Amino acid sequence: MTEIMVRFTVNKRPVSVKTEPSRTLLNVLRDDLKLKGAKEACGQGDCGACVVVMDGKAVNSCLVLIAQAEGADIITVEGLAENGKLHPLQEHFIENWAFQCGYCASGMLMSAYALLLKNPNPTREEIQDAISGNLCRCTGYHEIMEAIEASAADLNMKSSNTCDQKKLSKGDMHERLGNHPTEIY
Amino acid sequence: MGKPDYFAPQTVDEALETLAKQSSGAKIIAGGTDLIPRMRSGMMNPALLVDLCRLPLNHIEIKSGWLHIGARVTHSEILESELLAVHYPALVEAARAIAGPPIRNRGTIGGNIINASPAADLAPPLLVYDAIVLLVKADAERVVPLAELFTGPGRTILSSDEILTEIRVPLPPPDTASNFVKLGKRKAMAIAVASAATRLTLDGDGIIFQARVALGSVAPKPMRSIGAESLLQGKAPGMEIFTEAARVASLESSPITDLRASAEYRKKMVAVLVRRSLEATWGQLGMENQ
Repeated sequence: MTEIMVRFTVNKRPVSVKTEPSRTLLNVLRDDLKLKGAKEACGQGDCGACVVVMDGKAVNSCLVLIAQAEGADIITVEGLAENGKLHPLQEHFIENWAFQCGYCASGMLMSAYALLLKNPNPTREEIQDAISGNLCRCTGYHEIMEAIEASAADLNMKSSNTCDQKKLSKGDMHERLGNHPTEIY
Repeated sequence: MGKPDYFAPQTVDEALETLAKQSSGAKIIAGGTDLIPRMRSGMMNPALLVDLCRLPLNHIEIKSGWLHIGARVTHSEILESELLAVHYPALVEAARAIAGPPIRNRGTIGGNIINASPAADLAPPLLVYDAIVLLVKADAERVVPLAELFTGPGRTILSSDEILTEIRVPLPPPDTASNFVKLGKRKAMAIAVASAATRLTLDGDGIIFQARVALGSVAPKPMRSIGAESLLQGKAPGMEIFTEAARVASLESSPITDLRASAEYRKKMVAVLVRRSLEATWGQLGMENQ
């Protein structure tokens, strides 16, 4: 087995990791980058506790080999808050009591985040589908869906008032990436 | 999990050369949604992973009367394709029935087929659309009807130096409708207890000119019910003939008892699913004719 160098971005910061190619993205996020938000629960793509957003789409980070993350843009739950301010999804999860033990929460948030990226006005059915790959065993799904609905309404209101909530295009994203030095692990 | 080497070739030729050199120690990976859990559980231990992620096999296009789908097209991409929604609704419904978004965003049509699970959701619709698959190796390629690709649970005729690169499906004739139904323990994230896809093509007099009935999870491999199909062909569509065809499909199925359901239950459900699917297919034809 030969180690490889994998370059990608995590929460808009470029990183380089020298690693065995067949480790999972989840392992690298947690053990190398010390981002402990994504969790390992089932380890086979059934529970969604490890969901992160990869190139704009929700994925199970336990089912992505780190080698497959080459060149990808990864957003984890740690990347939702900006400048010390929680993302509206996080605010509404708190307000709606959508957390209990919290183990599913980061995956739920990232599935919801991926949904709102491509569909700012989801129906209840679309929300259900978006989190259908995420298991919650304590709070229940009702509060979680209400939190996502409230966030969508909140984000839409803000985007009609100001411009700062508009979706980042690939170009914007890269412009913002340029300001960070690559972190090597 | 073992520690395989990893290679992501830039071209199909490069991938084929690598496979030809490596013989049996190499394993092709695409979405990885089936392979990675198997590697992690120790069921598979390849020496080298050949990743198809950089190959240009993500097309969905119609060329001279045939739909061409690249092997790397994901279930999400099937769901989002307007072309497929218009011509191949049963395939789109089957993609929607797969797991949840994180799996659908990674898992591919090629992987769903080549894993040869009897429960592969995309197999029954592809069978009713008479899909063929393109298998390529360094010095040759062959085109094989999908039904002939499967040899048993998890087994296909694909050799270790060969890649499934494309699925091809003829454009459905006019007056054609199709449907897919799946019975699972719950709506999302469930492997099928049983599934059925049907297609009906009517002639100018409203008689069934061509019928297809395919079943998932009720035999060692995804199967067509030839008996049900020949019973339907040449008849006027109607509930009575659908019920009879569904009974024949049930007789032709050969399910096993496993953790998801008993063989007896599955056999009974085949009759229910086939009848419902034929009814839904017929309903679409009725709407088109009005």
